[in-house]
This record gives sequence, C-alpha cells and structure tokens, in this order.
Amino acid sequence: MSRPVPGRWLVAVPMALLALATIYPLLFTVNVAMKTRREYVLDRFSLASTLQWDNLGTAWNSVGMGRYFLNSVIVVACAVALLLLIGSMAGFALAQVRFRGSSTLAVVCLAALFIPFQVIMVPLARIMAGGGLIDTYPGLVLAYVAQFLPFTVFLMTSYYRAVPTELVDAARIDGNTLYGVYRRIMLPMGAPALLSVGILDALFCWNDVLISLLMMPSADHRTLMVGITSLRGQYSADIPTFAAGVLIAGLPVLVTYLFLQRQIADGVTAGATKG
Amino acid sequence: MSPVGSSVRAAQGARAGEAVDGRGPAPKSPRGRGGRLAERLAPYVLVAPAVLIIVVLRLWPLGLGVNFSFTGDCEHNGTPVGLDNYAELIDDPLFRTALRNVGLLVLLLPVAVAIPGLLATFIHLRVPGHPFFRSVYFFPAVLSPVIVGAIFNLLLAFDGPLNAVLGRSGAGPVDWLGDPDVAIFAVVGVHIWATSGMALVVFLAGFATLDPALLDAARVDGASLARMIWHVIIPGLSRTIQFVVVTTMIGMLTSMFGLLYVMTSGGPEGSTYLPEYYIWVQQGQMSRPALASAASTVLFLVMLVVGLLQVGLLRRAGRED
Repeated sequence: MSRPVPGRWLVAVPMALLALATIYPLLFTVNVAMKTRREYVLDRFSLASTLQWDNLGTAWNSVGMGRYFLNSVIVVACAVALLLLIGSMAGFALAQVRFRGSSTLAVVCLAALFIPFQVIMVPLARIMAGGGLIDTYPGLVLAYVAQFLPFTVFLMTSYYRAVPTELVDAARIDGNTLYGVYRRIMLPMGAPALLSVGILDALFCWNDVLISLLMMPSADHRTLMVGITSLRGQYSADIPTFAAGVLIAGLPVLVTYLFLQRQIADGVTAGATKG
Repeated sequence: MSPVGSSVRAAQGARAGEAVDGRGPAPKSPRGRGGRLAERLAPYVLVAPAVLIIVVLRLWPLGLGVNFSFTGDCEHNGTPVGLDNYAELIDDPLFRTALRNVGLLVLLLPVAVAIPGLLATFIHLRVPGHPFFRSVYFFPAVLSPVIVGAIFNLLLAFDGPLNAVLGRSGAGPVDWLGDPDVAIFAVVGVHIWATSGMALVVFLAGFATLDPALLDAARVDGASLARMIWHVIIPGLSRTIQFVVVTTMIGMLTSMFGLLYVMTSGGPEGSTYLPEYYIWVQQGQMSRPALASAASTVLFLVMLVVGLLQVGLLRRAGRED
C-alpha cells in the first residue's frame, strides 16, 4: 500500500470545491425563495433575514400550480404503473423463455431505445391526433409509456436474465403455466428492479417538458414542468416568488432522492453493466 | 377476443395480455393438447403489449416521418416534393447553426465523459468523504432541465449573482445568455453540470465490476495515478466507457430541449439552436411539420453516424489493448 493518504486529501480539496459548486446553485435558490423582493434587489447573497414562507403560497396559488401538480401526479402514476406491468411481462418472456422470434423481438425493443423522441415527434403527434388523444390524459400517458418502454423492457430483461432458468423449469414442472410463473414468481422476484426502474420512469415522466408540451396544448392540462415555464414570464420582476415556484416543483424530486438514491443509481447503472 | 384455434384457451393469467393482444382466456390444464399450444403462445402474449406499443408508436412513426419529409407543407400538404425540404434546411441559417452546434457538442464530448470518469475514479479510490461527494454530484442529474434552467437563469442573468462576483473580483460582466458567442457554451456547461452525475454513477458501477486485485497490484507496484488510469482503469472499463460515451452523446443531442426552452429559447440571434429545438419550432410555432420531419430525419442520421463511429472507434481501441 504505497499510495499514501496525503495524496487522497490533496484530491479531496478540489472535489469538495466542486461539490460546493454543485450544491450552491440549489442553496442559492432556496435562500432566494425565502427572501422578500426588497432583500433580493439589495443583496442577492445575504441570507434571508426572515423566512418568507408566503412566497410559496403566492407561487402555488397564482398560476394554478396546484392544478399542474395534480395533472403531473395523475399522469405519472398511470404511466409508471403501465410501464412496469408491460415492461416486466416482456422482460420476463424475453429473458427466461426460449421461443421462436424471441431474439428478433428483443432487437425490436432494443432498436427503439435509439430512436429519440424528437425524431418521431411530428408523425407521433399525427397518430395521436388521429386517435383523438391530443390534450387528453390517456394520450399523454400513452406517449410516456411509448417513450420509456424500450428502456423499461431493456432493464427488466437484463434483470431477469440474471435469474437462473432452473427456477422457471422447476415451477413449470410443478404445474404452473407461464403466466403463473410470471405472476407468482417473477413479479415478486423482480421487486427490486421494478422499484429502481419505476422510480427512474417516474422521474423521467415528472421531469419531461417536450412530450407534455406536444401532447397537452391547453393550459388546463399543463403538467407541472410546463407550468413552471409559464411562471417565469409572469414573475420576471419578482424573483423570490419565481424561486419559490421552482422550489415547489423540485421538492418532490429532492425528497425522492433523499430516500431512494440507492435505487435510482441502481436503475441508471443496471443497463450499463449488464447490457 | 378471437380464439386462435378451436381448442385453444390461453392460460389463467392472460389478464394482462388479453387487453392488447386479443388471445382469449384459458384452460386450467397446461398438459392438455390445447394447453400446450396455449403455453407455446404464452410468451408471445407476454411480449405482445410491449412490442405492439413499440412498433406502433416508435418504429412506425420513424418510417412515417421519413416519408413525410418528402412531402410539402401548407398548400402543398401531402403532395410529394422530393428533396425540397432538405434543400430548404440547408439554406436555413438557423438549421446550419443547429448543425454547427452539434459539431461543438461532439467536440465537447470528451470533456463531458472525462469529468465524471475522473471524479468516479477518485470516489472509487475512497477519497475522504467519498459517499458525500457521490450523493452531491449525482443529485442534479435527477432534476428536471426546466428546474435546472430556471435556477441558472437566475445565476447567469446579466445583473445576476455570477456577474456580481466577477465584478467584485475586477473582471467585467459577461452576458452569459445574451452574447451569441457565449450563450451556447453557457447552456452546454449547465447541461454537463446537470447530467454528469448520471455518467458518474454509471462509471462507479463499472468500477464495482473491476477486479480489485488489479488496482491493488498496481498500487503495490507503486504505479502513479495517471499510469493506473491508463493501464488498469481504462482497459478494464472499456465497456462502461463505451456506454457512457454513447449515452452522453445521445443525451446532448436529445435532452437539452428543456434547457433551451427555459434559458435561451434558441437565442440570442438563434445562436443556441439545436436540431431538437429547430424541430420543435417548425412543428409547433411555424406549422411546418414536413420541414420538421426532414430535420428529424437529419438528426436521426447524425446520431446514427456519430454513434456508429464512436462504437467502431472504441471497439478498435479496446482491441488494441
């Protein structure tokens, strides 16, 4: 062990500075959200002298953020539930069952991973409009499912691939059908992966702007992230209220992160190491 | 619900499959003749919803879009116009800027990969406080580009805090988001700030698969950090690096919309246009869906070419080691 400790401390200093640079913009925003307008104009950096919780209320009530918040919750919950169900079914079949055409179907799913939304945006909008799905909750849910399904299938496939196939064989000898194996064994066994993938899918959907802008043109149906962008125009002169709105929108993500960081990281990395 | 064959009843759990696939419900006897057929169909039923959605809403639109790009907009709606849309793209200074910016992104790619790679190396080598660093660096990656963009709108405003700091230290204020020569770098910088956490976590997972004995051996031999990175880490992580390079590039080309939308709206003077933003503007604002489709097709080709080139290059580099 000749690589000594002092060298590590030497690296720790710039890394700490970088960590500060990462965290400072966030703290700055929280601080601004707690200031009065006057305080912000006078000195941007001073700590808020009294915490202006009212800013949060102003942001929440003024531009219908409550409504946007609800829209986001509904759409994200439905999309994630569908993604997990459809994704785990396909992932199990592709990983554990040998059947004709399985590798072709796996390639189809994998290929879709490399088709970004921007590339298919225009025709997709047409298809959705043809089905009367523009500006409806099911439409946006379906758009999210279509967008994140390849990723979900891919991760579930790689997760189930690590499960020994003897398990399936044994369960089938016991008289289970393939559906029974899926429901009784694979679905419960997939829980850790479903959790990781589910959180990640939820984050993707929650954070999305482009798909939501395309699918939900009317103001009533805006999701939270699109709503935030409208806050910006309205409060260009009232930065603290704007910052408060940003804080509200970011809070669910922050809470999720604090509690489920491990699972998020697992989801991000599963594809990289197993694929 | 059309039965596939007279004796065919899919097995009990078809609930999930039937809605989309239409293969009926189910006998209790997996050993009967019909049961065997149902069992043989079962994997298809399980895969069907996913495949249907992916084919109808991902692959088919891709072909549709390519087709669409050879037709006209407005009064020529639907009529074939050959390569007119592509000619118009090439003539459009905004689209040319968008492509130039793609070139810039490709040039900046090594930076966007090296920073998280290096940070992951230090974290893996257990720099003091490494769990904390990991958590902090990763966090911005889970934030929406809208939120990140909004935060940096505040920080980078001309009369904002960053310029105030620069002013105090004597440097002149920089119009981060208002200067056509600076804005694209500001936006890309913010994007790298926000997303390198993803790559960092992927690198760390790669390290976890690296044989620790290799690193220990290098350490015992007294190898310097640089030599360790070059001779042990890079060859050992070639697959991870390949993955990060490709995903980072895809991210740069397809997930900067939120930032552009919030921070610059493509400005100033159109200098921060990227193809994805151009597509959005032509489709949404200008009602030029066919032109937008042509831009989509170009974006797809660019990604395909750059992606394949990278994979090819990295494969070769991997083999030489």
